[in-house]
Amino acid sequence: MENNKQKALRKLMAARFALHDAELYLDSHPDCQEGLRYFRAKREQAEKLRNEYETEFGSLTSRCTKADERWEWVCGAFPWERGES
Amino acid sequence: MFQYEKVLQYPVNIKNPNPALAKVIISQLGGPDGEVGAAMRYLNQRYAAPCREVQAILTDIGTEELGHMEMVAAILYQLTRNLSVSEIKESGFDAYFVDHTTGIYPAAASGPAFTADYLQSTGDPLADMHEDLAAEQKARLTYDNILRLVDDPDVRDPIKFLREREIVHYQRFGEGLRKIQDMLDSKNFYAFNPSFDKQKPKRK
Repeated sequence: MENNKQKALRKLMAARFALHDAELYLDSHPDCQEGLRYFRAKREQAEKLRNEYETEFGSLTSRCTKADERWEWVCGAFPWERGES
Repeated sequence: MFQYEKVLQYPVNIKNPNPALAKVIISQLGGPDGEVGAAMRYLNQRYAAPCREVQAILTDIGTEELGHMEMVAAILYQLTRNLSVSEIKESGFDAYFVDHTTGIYPAAASGPAFTADYLQSTGDPLADMHEDLAAEQKARLTYDNILRLVDDPDVRDPIKFLREREIVHYQRFGEGLRKIQDMLDSKNFYAFNPSFDKQKPKRK
């Protein structure tokens, strides 16, 4: 069974994958208006999901950690652990 | 997951192409103590790290090494632009040129192509950490040797930056080693790693 963290992560991973694939496509089709529209929509969605995920479960990059009392970067698990992706 | 940022970690702006310098600096791309090996070493070793701090050190330094790979490549790229045939012949760059033109290929200054034989990933965090400390010292001394051979300040400046990063990484790996040693039994005078022999039974 997936927990809430995994559910949120899956949604984010799916949105990011679509975004990444659009980036590859646009590298070879930089003037495709439909591709650009798709990219903008996916980027908005991925950013929203990233904000939601990071607010609840912690930062995905060391640069974005809250860094208030402790360096959270070494508190959360790394993604290669079973159950972390 | 890795994401690319369109910025070098430190500026590389070389006014005068000089293929003779590229011939020696290429070792810090694909040589025995170069940046390709460094990135591959740390990013592959991190799965055996026993705590989050060391996992983070290997991840973050390994990622920085990818950035150094790019900086060394940028130096090589700028040193070998707009070359004439006579410049290629006179500088001794012809041996590289015949195989790669001015493409960036990870090889040692002494000739051999990059190989994973330059690095280890032992599965033993103590052995890995000692390898990493040695690797940073060896990379530092290679940059020292490059600085002995290079006069151009445009080239020396980013090389000096890269040399300093080796020293900082050595410090961080020293702290990583200390962290792992602190996790060992206090009676373990010889600092070997018993974790492999004392694994918890595998989950069914």
